[in-house]
Amino acid sequence: MKKIFLPFFILLTGIAQSQMKADDVKTFTLKNGMKFLVVEDNSIPNANMYLFYRVGSRNEYQGITGLSHFFEHMMFNGAKKYGPKLFDQTMEFNGGANNAYTREDVTVYTNWFPSSATEVIFDLEGDRISSLSIDPKMVESERGVVLSERSTGLENSPWQVLFQTTQGLAFLEHPYHWPVIGYEDDMKNWKLADLERYFKTYYAPNNCVTVISGNVKFDDIKKLAEKYIEPIPSQPTPPKVNIVEPIQTGERRVLMQKDVATPYLGISWHVPAATHEDYYALSILSDILTSGRSSRLYSSLIDKKQLATQVFANFGESFDPYLFVIAGVTAKNVHENDLEKAIYEELEKIKKEGITESELQKIKNQKLMEFYGQVETINGKSNNIGTYELFFGDYKKMFDAPAAYNKVTVEDIKKMAIKYFTKSNRTVGVLKSNTEE
Amino acid sequence: MQKKYSVLFIILTACLTFQLHAQSYKLPLYEKFKLKNGLTVYLMEQHEVPVINISVILPAGAIYDGEKAGLASLTAAALKHGTNKYTKEKLDEELDFHGAFIGTTVSKESAGLSARMASKDKNKIINLVKEVLLEPTFDAMEFEKEKKRLLVGLEQQKESPRSVIGAYFDKFIYGDHVYGNIVQGKIATVTPLTVDDVKKFYVENYLPEGAAISIAGDFNKDEMKTLISRLFDLWKKGTKPQVNLASKPIVTPTKQQVLLINKDDAKETTFYIGAPGISRNNPDFVSIEVVNTLFGGRFTSMLNDELRVNTGLTYGANSRFNALKNGGTFVISTFTAGKTTEPAIDKALEVLNKLHTNGLDQKSLTSAKNYVKGQFPPRYETAGQLAGLMTQMFWYNFDESFINNFEKNVDGLNLEKANQIISKYFPKDKLQFVLVGKSADIKKIAEKYGKVTEVQIKEEPKKGF
Repeated sequence: MKKIFLPFFILLTGIAQSQMKADDVKTFTLKNGMKFLVVEDNSIPNANMYLFYRVGSRNEYQGITGLSHFFEHMMFNGAKKYGPKLFDQTMEFNGGANNAYTREDVTVYTNWFPSSATEVIFDLEGDRISSLSIDPKMVESERGVVLSERSTGLENSPWQVLFQTTQGLAFLEHPYHWPVIGYEDDMKNWKLADLERYFKTYYAPNNCVTVISGNVKFDDIKKLAEKYIEPIPSQPTPPKVNIVEPIQTGERRVLMQKDVATPYLGISWHVPAATHEDYYALSILSDILTSGRSSRLYSSLIDKKQLATQVFANFGESFDPYLFVIAGVTAKNVHENDLEKAIYEELEKIKKEGITESELQKIKNQKLMEFYGQVETINGKSNNIGTYELFFGDYKKMFDAPAAYNKVTVEDIKKMAIKYFTKSNRTVGVLKSNTEE
Repeated sequence: MQKKYSVLFIILTACLTFQLHAQSYKLPLYEKFKLKNGLTVYLMEQHEVPVINISVILPAGAIYDGEKAGLASLTAAALKHGTNKYTKEKLDEELDFHGAFIGTTVSKESAGLSARMASKDKNKIINLVKEVLLEPTFDAMEFEKEKKRLLVGLEQQKESPRSVIGAYFDKFIYGDHVYGNIVQGKIATVTPLTVDDVKKFYVENYLPEGAAISIAGDFNKDEMKTLISRLFDLWKKGTKPQVNLASKPIVTPTKQQVLLINKDDAKETTFYIGAPGISRNNPDFVSIEVVNTLFGGRFTSMLNDELRVNTGLTYGANSRFNALKNGGTFVISTFTAGKTTEPAIDKALEVLNKLHTNGLDQKSLTSAKNYVKGQFPPRYETAGQLAGLMTQMFWYNFDESFINNFEKNVDGLNLEKANQIISKYFPKDKLQFVLVGKSADIKKIAEKYGKVTEVQIKEEPKKGF
């Protein structure tokens, strides 16, 4: 039987579920510095392994932009024992599948497998972490793959152009300036030496947290980790990212051309990193604005005023101060300026009148349901535990989150809107067909 | 070194005799019964989280659109525009406040509703599900708003080759058969639709005798049985039987041909290469899945290995069988830079030829079988997934033996049978090509593969090509 292992809903709804405790996540740290978080869950005969590396486009500089993401791809292209193609072939032969993703702050490798294959997965990971072998021929064919990945994103979604450009303007100095996928010309010019240095610097066991959930035993995992991972030497702590984005002192605007049916709009405000005390209130504010059809912006802009066909907000966890984004697509025959103005009017309402107790309770109820969804699968468990460990500094912070959300008051929400939704703090991007008018 | 070597040896040995001996996945117990009006009900208790999931399937898909493409889709959306007791606004507020969700969808053959709620809210939210399904008011103003959004959406789709290629392909391969109907509709057919069309479509097609509701989650089965019977007994049977439009024979293409959809600003070519496939009740369904896994269904598949890993022509290439009740398609799907269109298409064809010429070997078959078995249990991990599975069981007329015998069926596939599967189900000739890209650059290339019909992405898909 699976069980929920966190007390999130107790605080939100007052249901007593005494069996839930932080102890359900068991941890150990190897001598080389790699930390393991393990959740035993035998609901299905499967398990997973999520490896979170503290490296992303935030660690790049101009000339090597996109290298973190490219490196993510190269981690599948051969090591000492399992040469080119053998990582995937061996994993799939043993019933496993994998993927990986790269963000501004982290690179995450995900393996999903029948738990009978656990030792094979350790062997595969140990091999590539200890002795990745970067074959120049593989570099070239993989370069084509990521160029295709970049191009197909741009080809199929106007959002990608809009967000990349707006983010680039919101951050003029901090490495959040460039897109995770990289600049096309940098992508064509990464050198083998860049990759080798990247591997040595960032793919050290001490720069990684591994999370395993599923039909496994903690003691077995520990033994396997000691056998396959512990012999890999640690490396010096990677260099710190020192750049702090200077405070924005005036509104920034940018216009982009693409052949689209109606204009796309994205507005970004600078907000603090995940560890800041405002995180939880901002997260609730984001939901107040766009979560569900009764949310402020959906109800006003799409339903009542019919100015937009889509609207959403994006606010998430980050290592350094990042962005709170509100984005929308204008309805037919609506000027994007009218949509933009209507968004500001809704934000002004919150600044002046605040929100209602019932609205706040609604979001707390939604957060609870969202939480159930996250712990319903072994993958949701691993991903969330790992994310808390890296972005909030400790997986145990996940246990404090319910209290943190519950402490947020209607007054706090108003304060957030006043503090962050200012004109001088925002960057506005518009993408439309005719940029000559 | 020594240590590493011995580890390698053990693993290789293990691989040679490898069989997945993890405890087999079995479908949890469920109860199935029928109400007097013919509605089929599935109940499955799952107490892992205090949540209840509902899945409903109805015989109200786009195959019943007739000339009014998009009608089934708009009808499904309009179910949420208010009920006898709740205005749309009130309905949205109630759902959001409880963190609950009711969503409607439509596919080619069926319409669907899914819902999710905290188990403590079950009486309130399941009653809302009933209202949405049985007592929608189809508010005229809300309908006009929905239609306007859809029309913008249809225009936006043309900005993304990936979003439109599937509809073009189906139209191309199914011709006049109702499986070629375009689910989202077309600008020309959606524009004249009225709320009366929706009301009529609802009365004719939202019928309990052809529908099923499945509920999985944290509840007591007997209590739920009482609740569901009380609420859904009110659903009236249809006055005339629904005609099964999909049962007409599907005319299969007689020659290899190309549909080229010109997009002037395209930098890539997005393409499908396909042929008629199988229906969901095909007795070889599981074996075909295993063989397709090898050909184009996973990362190391023949297609992805050649088009991505070896040549870097694309970010990804795959193949799949889309199986419906009375037929289906097989499709190879990928994309590449405009200038590499020809090598990418040629590679895809070369891989397909190789499948036929070389067949499979024992090691790769074992690998595919292990993979399919290993990735099976997570597909049915949550109560929401299980609720969806049960309505699929109803729709395609299969039962728990599909789940419980899955491993056995996979294990039973031997090399000889696998190679028969290839020649029987994987196309060799009369391939149908659909390309979305910049015609000025790729038309000459397209002509290499068959007679080319060219259309403009900004225009509407035609009835036949």
